[in-house]
Amino acid sequence: MAKDVLLRLDHVTKTYEMGEVRVEALQDTSLQIYPGELLAILGPSGSGKSTMLNIIGGIDLPTSGKVVFGEEDLSQVGDSRLTRYRRNEVGFVFQFYNLIPDLTARENVELAGRLVEHPLPADEVLKEVGLEDRQDHFPSQLSGGEQQRVSIARATAKNPRLLLCDEPTGALDFQTGKLILGLLSRINRGRGSAVIIVTHNTAIGAMAHRVVRMRSGRIVDITENPSPVSPERIEW
Amino acid sequence: MNVLLMKLWRTIWNTKGQFLAVAAVVMVGISVFISMTTSYYNLNRSQDLFYRENNFADYYFHVVRAPQEITKQIESVPGVIKATGRIQMDIPVIKEGNNRATARVTSYPLPMDREVNRLELLTGRMFEKYPQGGGVEVLVDPQYAKANQLNVNSIVTVVAGGKRVPLTVVGTGTSPEFIYPMKDAASMMPEPETFGIVMIPQNQAQQIQNLPGQINQVVVKLAPGVDAEETAAGIRTILEPYGNLASYPRKQQLSHAVLQGELDGLEVQAQFMPAIFLCVAAAIQFIILGRMVKTQRLQIGIMKALGYHNRQIMWHYVSYALAVAVAGAALGLVFGLMLASVFSKAYAMFFNLPGAIGGFNFRAIFSGVALSLMVGLLAGLAASRGVVRINPAESMRPEPPRSARSIFLDRWGWLWRKLGSEWKMTLRTVGRNRARFGFTVVGVVFAVGMLVVSFFAKDSIDYMLKTHFFREQHYDFLLRFSGPVRESELLNISRIDGVIKVEPIFELPVKMHFNGRSEDDLLLGLPGGVTLKTLVNDKGRPVRLPEDGILISQRSASKLGVRIGDRFEVETLLGVGPSHRGTLKVAGVNRQLVGSSSYVNLSQVNGLLQEGQLVSGAMLKVDQGKADQVERGLNEMTGIASVSSREKELGGFTKNMGSMIYAVTIMIMFSVILGFAIVYNSSLIGFAERKRELASLRVIGYTNREVSGLLLREILLQAACGVIFGLPFGRWMAESYVNAVSTELFTMPVVVYPQTYLLSAIGGIAFMMAAHLFVVKGVKKLDLVEVLKNRD
Repeated sequence: MAKDVLLRLDHVTKTYEMGEVRVEALQDTSLQIYPGELLAILGPSGSGKSTMLNIIGGIDLPTSGKVVFGEEDLSQVGDSRLTRYRRNEVGFVFQFYNLIPDLTARENVELAGRLVEHPLPADEVLKEVGLEDRQDHFPSQLSGGEQQRVSIARATAKNPRLLLCDEPTGALDFQTGKLILGLLSRINRGRGSAVIIVTHNTAIGAMAHRVVRMRSGRIVDITENPSPVSPERIEW
Repeated sequence: MNVLLMKLWRTIWNTKGQFLAVAAVVMVGISVFISMTTSYYNLNRSQDLFYRENNFADYYFHVVRAPQEITKQIESVPGVIKATGRIQMDIPVIKEGNNRATARVTSYPLPMDREVNRLELLTGRMFEKYPQGGGVEVLVDPQYAKANQLNVNSIVTVVAGGKRVPLTVVGTGTSPEFIYPMKDAASMMPEPETFGIVMIPQNQAQQIQNLPGQINQVVVKLAPGVDAEETAAGIRTILEPYGNLASYPRKQQLSHAVLQGELDGLEVQAQFMPAIFLCVAAAIQFIILGRMVKTQRLQIGIMKALGYHNRQIMWHYVSYALAVAVAGAALGLVFGLMLASVFSKAYAMFFNLPGAIGGFNFRAIFSGVALSLMVGLLAGLAASRGVVRINPAESMRPEPPRSARSIFLDRWGWLWRKLGSEWKMTLRTVGRNRARFGFTVVGVVFAVGMLVVSFFAKDSIDYMLKTHFFREQHYDFLLRFSGPVRESELLNISRIDGVIKVEPIFELPVKMHFNGRSEDDLLLGLPGGVTLKTLVNDKGRPVRLPEDGILISQRSASKLGVRIGDRFEVETLLGVGPSHRGTLKVAGVNRQLVGSSSYVNLSQVNGLLQEGQLVSGAMLKVDQGKADQVERGLNEMTGIASVSSREKELGGFTKNMGSMIYAVTIMIMFSVILGFAIVYNSSLIGFAERKRELASLRVIGYTNREVSGLLLREILLQAACGVIFGLPFGRWMAESYVNAVSTELFTMPVVVYPQTYLLSAIGGIAFMMAAHLFVVKGVKKLDLVEVLKNRD
């Protein structure tokens, strides 16, 4: 099957300078991301997985190498183009939700929706994540799992081609975590968005189409998973 | 503890912008406090010392003429420690080029050792009772000497006893009653060129005025704790046969009243202004530290887990506040002392107070520094209370999101739906962080208010000028005759080439009686169709001269307890001729801006004096080109005691305004510092608290401009509220200030021109926009990865 490539990392490196110390977070990393796939990036802390996700999502720039989206090399564009890329193509889900505390669930979703020309209606996405009854609650009135669901709804409202999740279940208990993973899986299958989940929890790899393993800033392994498992069946 | 000290230093360095901004506010507060308190203490002490050393009188009595031995009788009245008799008269001085001036000749019995109201020699030597070469030796007040370039052995020629008498100046002197040499309550400023004090030995005064062995004033020193009014009544009885003209206690003595008024005003200001600045500084520090504690929850939790006590950790934050206090106090001290010496020099110019007015006042310095430290300590303690509540384990977990409530606007559904998410977010943020929003608004309110107050002084004085000089007075010269003359004599004056119009006036000193109360006043008699003077009340509206009855001054009316329609008894107190009694009906009560005069129709005066067609002075309108000529012509006429020109009065006044402008400029600078410090701090605090939120927005895809726009909305709301409340607040402050410093003699109208309001509003908005620029910079520099990674 010849596959289109949605986004390509070409020999990307990322080095931080913290005073006199040089940290090489990513060393010569190359990766292709396909439309509609569910990709898991696994690795211990310090492996560079979050750094890679940030570069894919356009909130960080590589020190060297190319980040090609479509025909464009995002590593060479200005801040305003990068912002537009994030606006139109990317949805982010963080470990600690990052909702706007002053807005209700619905308003948090609308906040993202109004940025694009054809957003998904807020109540529709909230229904999809099972929160249609909690639309008018503020984040402080929602549990951790509910907040994460709002976060996912906010990310999907833009109907992005890339949904990037950094440790989405890291702050949640086992049951709730599985619920969230189920949601992500459904969005991936139902909407066709490429979903990338970065986690140190290797068990999650079972639900992905492909699993990328990282260590010390390098990709050590990329495995295809012909039969991804449903999230309900995962245990950790 | 050493490590914590290191942390303190680093924190100060990392937040040096904020640190300096708050320290600047403290500095301004402390320097104003120190400078004003020092000036107050110094002026007060000088006054005290001077009064005591020269035996300043407690009570004054003016009579027509009395034998000098009367003082012995007065001293036998219980409560009287010492009574001194003297002669005091205003007589004309003939200067070079026939210019006129007035000398208040005051006599001193020699030897002076235990007399009341002694004089103090400043330069030259004391006069002799019987000078060797004959002639008369006198001292003059230093301002008059300077203005008229008098030195030792200069001659001052006066008109006394109908003759020209040369007086030899042997030095300069002053006395507690001449600290502020003003002719009378009607003049607004001293006019040293045309009015001076001449101090003369008593025997010489009696001789040149033809009053052998006689006096016309008694000044009295009372025992402490004695009932002044009762004793004064007793003295008045003794002086009855000699024509009681006036009697008043020290607090009504002109020079003392002005000085005391100044002191009282200074006392108020020394508390009022620093209080504002220090409150603001305390509030800012409170908020900064509170936020620091919240942000550093994790670090505090860790320190507690390690085993640090609450108080050790609290002390760390309190010491930040103390560092601000120390920095502010140190700078405030330097500027305060500099300002104090500026004030002292200014006072020395105005007041004839010998002795050290300058110098440090350690009490002021100590209080200032202590105040600063206390404010810092309190703010620090209050803000770091939160340290106690931090549980180490909890602190290492992420903080739950702030609780949100619907704000009242939610219920205005239709309006709410119309607003976009940005306005909703802004309004919600404001609604839920009312304290932070309120604080910035209060800051802008103060800054705008203070701008209004700074400008208002200029506006008020400008208004008073326009009212007094242009709306009230239409004459160019005011003549006062040595004694009442027939109105027909004015023809001679009207014939002088250049004189366009002459209108008569009569200034009649009277004593008013009503229901057992008495009050001295000066009636100004004007002709019925007067054109050269318009009577204006304190609101600037013209008031009609009553044909019948008196337009009494507010001050006298309240002292006497009369109202419109009341009829009271009047006793004339002209120095010449017998005293007459009559009655006057109150036709109106008038409040004036400067001094207080009661007005009657000229015919009433003549009715009271039971003589027709008398005048005591005249108002002149002259051809501008011939003004000098006219003045020379007038100076050649005898019988004219003084000529005052509106030109010169105005000139003197505008000169005095110079120092006022200086003070206003300083106040404006202070307001600007204050305003900016508050707004800057508040914006920074607000921004830092929301970094996470703002970063999230950037991640979702909002541009820098859109995010800055959100913050701008908040700032505009704050600026708008601040201006809306700040303008009336500024006006209220101006009114309070005027109420606090108004004296009987002098009050300021509260006038704020529209452009002042506009300028202040613009100022307030400018602060906010400047602070916004800093915030915009901050948004651009947001490191999204860093901010979103951190847990709190």
